[in-house]
Amino acid sequence: MAIERGNVIIVERGRRKERLPGSGLLEGMAVVWRHWQGSFRKNRSFSQIHGTFTLEYPEERPKLPEAYRNMPILLYDEETGHELCTSCFQCQRICPPQVIHMTQAKDPATGKPVPAVAEFVIEYDACMSCGFCAEVCPFDAIKMDHEFELSTADHGSLTVAKEQLNRPIGYYERIAPTMWAEVREQALKKLQGNIKRRPGVLGMAPNLAEKIAARLRELATTAPVEAAPTTPPGPSAPAGRLSPEEKAARLAAIRARNDAAPADAPPPPAPAGARDGHGEPAPSDVPPAVNPADAKAARLAAIRARNAARAQEQAPPEPPAPPASRARTDEPEG
Amino acid sequence: MYELLDALINGRLGLGWPGWAVALLGHVAVATLLFLVAPVQMLFFTYYERRAIARMQDRIGPNRVGPEGIWQPIADGVKMFTKEDIVPAAADRYVHLLAPIVVVAPTMFMFAVVPWGPGMVPVDLNVGLLFFFAISSISAVGLMMAGWASNNKFALLGAMRAVAQMVSYEIPAVLSLIAIVMLTGTLSVVQIVAAQGGLVISTADLPGVPDVGLGWFIFTPVGLLACLCFFIAALAEGERTPFDIPEADSEIVAGYMTEYSGMKFGLFYLAQYVLNFLLCAITAVVFCGGWQGPGVGWLAAQGLSPANPDGSWVFNLFAGMLGVFYFLAKTYFFFFVMIWARGAFPRLRVDQLMDFGWKFLIPLTLVNVVSAAVWVGITRWGPEEGLDFTAQWSPLLRWGVAFALTMAINVVAYLTLARLYAAAQAARGRVDLEELVGSVPTSA
Ligand code: SF4
Ligand code: SF4
Repeated sequence: MAIERGNVIIVERGRRKERLPGSGLLEGMAVVWRHWQGSFRKNRSFSQIHGTFTLEYPEERPKLPEAYRNMPILLYDEETGHELCTSCFQCQRICPPQVIHMTQAKDPATGKPVPAVAEFVIEYDACMSCGFCAEVCPFDAIKMDHEFELSTADHGSLTVAKEQLNRPIGYYERIAPTMWAEVREQALKKLQGNIKRRPGVLGMAPNLAEKIAARLRELATTAPVEAAPTTPPGPSAPAGRLSPEEKAARLAAIRARNDAAPADAPPPPAPAGARDGHGEPAPSDVPPAVNPADAKAARLAAIRARNAARAQEQAPPEPPAPPASRARTDEPEG
Repeated sequence: MYELLDALINGRLGLGWPGWAVALLGHVAVATLLFLVAPVQMLFFTYYERRAIARMQDRIGPNRVGPEGIWQPIADGVKMFTKEDIVPAAADRYVHLLAPIVVVAPTMFMFAVVPWGPGMVPVDLNVGLLFFFAISSISAVGLMMAGWASNNKFALLGAMRAVAQMVSYEIPAVLSLIAIVMLTGTLSVVQIVAAQGGLVISTADLPGVPDVGLGWFIFTPVGLLACLCFFIAALAEGERTPFDIPEADSEIVAGYMTEYSGMKFGLFYLAQYVLNFLLCAITAVVFCGGWQGPGVGWLAAQGLSPANPDGSWVFNLFAGMLGVFYFLAKTYFFFFVMIWARGAFPRLRVDQLMDFGWKFLIPLTLVNVVSAAVWVGITRWGPEEGLDFTAQWSPLLRWGVAFALTMAINVVAYLTLARLYAAAQAARGRVDLEELVGSVPTSA
C-alpha cells in the first residue's frame, strides 16, 4: 500500500565510506570542541568562524556604518542659523506610515507661504526607519540619525517636534562624513537661495536664540529700507491666496509678454516658461518645430520681451515689486 | 556521623542520650545538608550549562548578574517564585499538584547512597546501586502523572515518550552496571569505590601495584565499554539532548511540563538537573573511582580511624576535602560531556531512540557482561572454582591475558553490532521509502 504524500525526492548520496562506526559522532564532537576552545578569544572578523562574536553592548559599542539609519532628524546650518528644510512636503508625501506632519511658514506681513517650515513633527513610535524621507528630500534637510537608544516609558515623548529634531550640519557631518561631502555643495547652494526668500527670521532654527536676536537687531537697523516693501497698502490676503495686487501684477505681466511676443519673435516662447525654472505658466504648450538655433534665439527674445514688460509694469506707481517677484516663484503653492 | 555525634554527646558532653536519638539527630543533620546541597548543585548546573553551551556556540552566555553572571541562577529562581501558578481548568487538580513532588522526591532519595569522600556517605547500603536505580525509576510515575493530569495532548505525548524512554534505557544502564558489580562482587557503592585504588591496574586485580587511587574501572576494556554504554543510557535517563525527546520543544511544546508554570515547573527543572547531577556522579563513582585520586588514600590513612587511633583529625579533614574535590571534578567533567553532546548532536526520532536502545545498546552491554565474566574468571578464579590452567600464571600475566581477551571480545562485538545495526537501519530506511514512493532505485 503506497501512501500518497506528494512528491518524494530521493537524494543520491553515493556509497558511504567504510569507517570506524561511531567516528562520525566523534568528528561532530571535535567540531564543537574547536568552537569551545576558540571561544575564549574575541572574533571581530566575519571571515573567521571561531571565536566569540558577542559584542558586549553597553560597554562595547558597535561601529555603525555611515549609511546606518535609525530615525530621521532635521539639519540646520550653524553659520546662518537657517534650517535646510523648505517645507516642500516631499517627505510627508513619501513616508509609508505617514508619520511626518508639517506646516509651512507664512510671511506674517503678506500671509504668503515662505520656503521654510513652521512646525515639523515626526511620530518616532510609528516611523519604520525606511529612510525614504531622507532619500527624497531635494534640499538634504532631513537625514537619518545614528542614535538608537530611544526606548522610553513615556509614549508621548515619541512624537517629536522640530526643536528636538533639529541638529547642526556639523553633527551629521561627523556621523556620515562622506555622505555629507557628496551633497554638501549643492545643499548649501540651495540653502543660500532659500535664505534670500525668507523674510525676517523665518526658517531660523528656534534653538539658536542669540543668532535670531542678532539677526533681528540687524534687521532693525535696515528697517527703513526693508519696511517699505513689506508694508504694502491694503490688508494682507488670507493664507494661501494671492492678494488682489499680486494677481493684478501677474496678469499684467502675462499680458505684457503676450503682447510683446508676436512683435518680437515669430515662434511662441513656450520653452521659456518651462526652462527658466520659475514655474511660470507657459502661454502655449505647443512645442515649436524649429531648429535649435532658432529656438534659442526665440527664447532669448522672449526673455528680453518679458523683462521689458516687467519694466513697464513696475513703472506705474504700483509699489510692491518684491511681492510680485515672490509671487511668481511661489506659484506651485499659490 | 553516628560515632562522631555519639562521642560528642555521650562522651564529651556526657548527656547520656539513647542510641536512637543520636542516630536520628545524625541522619536529620545529613539529610538537611543534602537537601541544601542538591538545589545549590542544580543552580550551579544551570549556570554551568548555559555558560558552556554558549561558548560552544561562539557566544558568552549570561555574564551580567554578579561577577561573570554567577548569580544568574538566583535571579532565575526569584523569577520562578514570583510567577503565577496556573492550573488548567480541565486538569486533575490533585494529581497535577502531586506530580512534581513525585518527580522530585526520588532524586533526593538517590543522594542517600552517593559517597562524597572517604567515609562521607549518608548510608552505606549493601544494595546501594540497586537502591539508586530502583528509586530513580519512581520518577517515571511522576512524569506519567504530570502528563495525564494536565489533560493536554502534548503533555500526555511527552509523558508517554518519557516513560517509554526511561523503561527502555534503564536496561542498558543496569546491564552495564552489572558488569562492574561482577568485577567487584558487591552492590555497595562504597565498596565499589574502594575497589578502585591502584595505578591503572586495580589493587583488586594485582595486589602489588602502588595505591595512588587511579585503579579506575574505566582503564579496563570491560569498564570502558560499560562506562560508554552507561553514559549514553544516562543521557536518555536524564533526558539530555540527543535524547531529549520527552520535552522536544519543537514538536510537543515542553512535553509533560507544558501545563506547569511557576514553582511547579521549577520543581521539574530542579528534579531534572539534580537527576543529571546524580547520573554524572554515579558515572564518576562507579567507573572513575569517585573520590579516589592521588593523595586521598594516604591522607585518610594518616587520619583518625578505628585502625589508627593516634592519627590526627586534620588529615581526616584534608582527606575529606580532597576526596570531595576529586568527586566533584569528575562529576562536573561528565556534565561537561553532557553539554558537549548537547552542543554537537541533534535530537533523535522516537523510533531511532528505541532502535538504538534495543538493537544496539542492550546487545552490547550483554556482551560486556560476558567479558566481565571472562575477566573475573581469569584474574580471580583458581583450582577451587575448577579453573586449573591459570594457577601457575603470575598475577601480571593473568591481568594481561584478561585485558587482551576482554578487549578482543569487546572490539569484535562493537564492530559486528555496529555493522548489523547499520544494515538494519538501512533496510528500515528502504522500507520507509518503499512506503512513500512504491519502489526504490536499485542503485541506492
Ligand atoms: S524613515 Fe520612513 S517611516 Fe520614518 S519618517 Fe522617514 S519616510 Fe517616514
Ligand atoms: S525635509 Fe526635505 S523633503 Fe521634507 S519638507 Fe523639508 S525640504 Fe521637503
